[in-house]
Amino acid sequence: MKIVINNKQYPVPKDLEQISLLDFIRDTVQLKGTKFGCGEGLCGACTVHLDGEAVRACQQSVGDVVGHRVLTIEGLADTRPEAKYHPVQEAWIEESVPQCGYCQPGQIMAASALLNHTPNPSDEEIRDEMSGNLCRCGTYPRIQRAIRRASKDRYYETR
Amino acid sequence: MKLDNSKTMNRRQFLIKSGWLAVGVTATASCSPIYSSLPALPSTDGPEWADAITWIQIMPNGKARFYCPRMEMGQGAPLGLSQVVAEELNLDQSDVECLLPDTQQIPRFRMTVGSQSILDFFDPVSRAAANLRENLRAMAAERTHYKPAQIKDAPGGFVLPDGQRKDYTTLVTDKPLLLTETRSIEDGLKIYSKNKNRNRRAIGNPWKHHELEAIVTGQPLYARDKSLPNMLYGQVLRPAVYGSKLINADVRDAKKMPGVTAVVVDKGANFIGVVTEHPSQLNAALDRLKLKWREPKARGQAELNDRLNVMRVRREDKFEHSLVSQGQMRQKPRPTHLSAAGYFETSFAAHAAMEPRAAVVSVKPKSTEVWCGSQDPFFVQRLVAKAIGYASDTVIVYPQRIGGGFGGRVPCQASVEAAILSKAVARPVRVAWDRETEFAHNYFQPRYSHYISASATREGVIDSWQHDFVSSPIITGLVPDNIAWIVDKVVADEGTARGSLLPYQVKNQSVRYSDIRTPIPIGAWRGLGSAPNTFAIESMIDDLAKAAQMDPLVFRLKNLPTTEKRLVKVFNRVAAMAKWGRELPEGVGLGIAGAIYKGESYAAVVAEVSIDATDKNLRVNKVWCAQDCGLIINPDQVENQIAGNIIWGCSLALKEQITFAAGQVEQSNFDDYEILRHNEAPEMEIGLIVSDEKPTGVGETALAPVAPAITNAIFAATGKRVRQLPINLESVFEVSETKG
Repeated sequence: MKIVINNKQYPVPKDLEQISLLDFIRDTVQLKGTKFGCGEGLCGACTVHLDGEAVRACQQSVGDVVGHRVLTIEGLADTRPEAKYHPVQEAWIEESVPQCGYCQPGQIMAASALLNHTPNPSDEEIRDEMSGNLCRCGTYPRIQRAIRRASKDRYYETR
Repeated sequence: MKLDNSKTMNRRQFLIKSGWLAVGVTATASCSPIYSSLPALPSTDGPEWADAITWIQIMPNGKARFYCPRMEMGQGAPLGLSQVVAEELNLDQSDVECLLPDTQQIPRFRMTVGSQSILDFFDPVSRAAANLRENLRAMAAERTHYKPAQIKDAPGGFVLPDGQRKDYTTLVTDKPLLLTETRSIEDGLKIYSKNKNRNRRAIGNPWKHHELEAIVTGQPLYARDKSLPNMLYGQVLRPAVYGSKLINADVRDAKKMPGVTAVVVDKGANFIGVVTEHPSQLNAALDRLKLKWREPKARGQAELNDRLNVMRVRREDKFEHSLVSQGQMRQKPRPTHLSAAGYFETSFAAHAAMEPRAAVVSVKPKSTEVWCGSQDPFFVQRLVAKAIGYASDTVIVYPQRIGGGFGGRVPCQASVEAAILSKAVARPVRVAWDRETEFAHNYFQPRYSHYISASATREGVIDSWQHDFVSSPIITGLVPDNIAWIVDKVVADEGTARGSLLPYQVKNQSVRYSDIRTPIPIGAWRGLGSAPNTFAIESMIDDLAKAAQMDPLVFRLKNLPTTEKRLVKVFNRVAAMAKWGRELPEGVGLGIAGAIYKGESYAAVVAEVSIDATDKNLRVNKVWCAQDCGLIINPDQVENQIAGNIIWGCSLALKEQITFAAGQVEQSNFDDYEILRHNEAPEMEIGLIVSDEKPTGVGETALAPVAPAITNAIFAATGKRVRQLPINLESVFEVSETKG
């Protein structure tokens, strides 16, 4: 069995087929940007893209994602090869969103998935879509601002 | 006599290691046999000059290396202090390398708590950096024929009277330049950071955090992300019921499970842990453990509530501590006066930081390395050393960025667990708590129970104020059981009482409290007593204003003494921002509250709340906050902290509650312990008072007034006084319905 993470193929040992995608990403592939927060799909810290849609990596088994493309925070910038960062990452930097920062890779993956399907979201749509991602430091207002800023990026004009 | 001289030892060893003793820094060595028999305690000693000189170096490339003696958990103190270093040394941000030092790199420093990082470290950091600058200027003078006074500042160095540059990089050649006590320049030392007439390049600017790009690209910054070659994975089982004793452990089946390297049992220490080759093997092995615990008589919520009930202590008339006792307290208010009285309660609460704690520890025969996120790495060093029977100075702690602290990360329990397991298997071990462990086995914010009775004249002057409250010790909450009774005899817990002193002027006043220990582990939680105490005080002030038929803001301003100018200023500012007094539609209320944090930082908050009893919907629409925290080093960071406090305040007002049943925590994850979600966050507007007063704390200041501003807004909209947090929405809607 093989799965694709950030456009790279990874073989899955037989005894790891049933473990969570999150554990596989963190402990086997050793990509640490996708975070463990709750293990129950309640906090969104482990948000990754599965074929461009936001999913909770702690709620997927490795076997579930065979034949799909997994994108993690580490691969996000490469989806826009002409710049150093993805527009959502750029907006996060511009707005200085993070405090402790732990939930932010998940927030960024959720926000970039939102903009993938709704390039110009309303405030209501941002609030609804982002409510699965908890932030204990209270960066929600800046997340709002950063998503609005990113949505104005030329990257989304062509979508 | 100072009992704890381990700090001196530590500094001396550090100086020997780095060769500094040879260059003129001296410290006396002594050894106390008493110290080794005491439990490991947190690091509380304040920053000293001899420490400060070890924090900053100028490197041969002309840049400054800053070993920041403050941990980073999102509050941004290392960034703010980097700006102070840059200001003094005329450097750009890219020329200051800010590092979280390990326990070998600088002497022991105070735990990062209590919003003290800027308050207590601004002075020593600015002084050390300014001193380093003047030493560099003296070096430039030695190497030219000019006097130091003729050599002027320039970015990254100096400029000579002839116009020639003398950059730091030309002065510091082969080795980093450090300050020594003998080279300390005291006379006329100019502290640029404090000079309001200077065109400050770093102070007051919204610098971005040096780890910002690493965060948004998912770089491994946290203890949970640490991995070592040859590392194994461990987990420790803790009893569900507090105070249980392990009496029997049958580990035979667990040992046979795939990947199990070791099962470590120490009945005396109540310790049972499993180590496996792969993290996915841990749960199966843990499931096979057959354990027998002897459980103590378990306490439920009702028993805890009774133990922490102000009315019980009032009946017994046995308050342990009296904070204020002045004027005359009457049994009944004067008949000519207006009066109000009431109970207020707040709940046990959890930190619920987003990163469940983790540690990687490698115990070797003669040394130990620890990677963890802790607000007190030197406390972790001592805890780990004690747990594995090593001397403290053989344990190195590499502190990692913390995925949310809020007081909950003073110890990092996972590091002690990983150390015991690593010692048993002689390989590095990672212990990463899951969310359930994080909820069940950390310490909590205690429940508070208040009773306040107060009176005012018909002109709206508060005449008497009697405030009694009961909670648990917070600052000394983590003191081990065997010495707790001594501590409680001599210490009135300042953390429990924080925020309980009235900022208003009242002639006849009594404030009493008891800090009562229960089996529930208690420790620091954002703001400590300030949020529960301010909730009670600012609710009662609103009740008095109502009794006096006065506007709540006017009533507050009338009763603030002239000495509290800064609190008056933030009240007026926030009122202007929120257009206090404006017409509001039915079902919408504005509430106001203010507080002084630790006697030094001032915040006032207005909340706008709308209540729809028919749809059973309560929403905090918007929160305004004005804050005066003295000199602002980084306005962007300060605003972010205030926003965080507003969200946290809404969360504690509306949602957060830990309860206990049969000696166990009833909540285990974010479905039954809810924290504020994005769609519940209010709009907000923040106003910062421009000031050149001493910079003070921001990490907890704005929190205290948020909940009472919300409940006062509910009062304004519905006439219903909320007496318990979190707010019982059903009861708010009931009253609204009967009112409507």
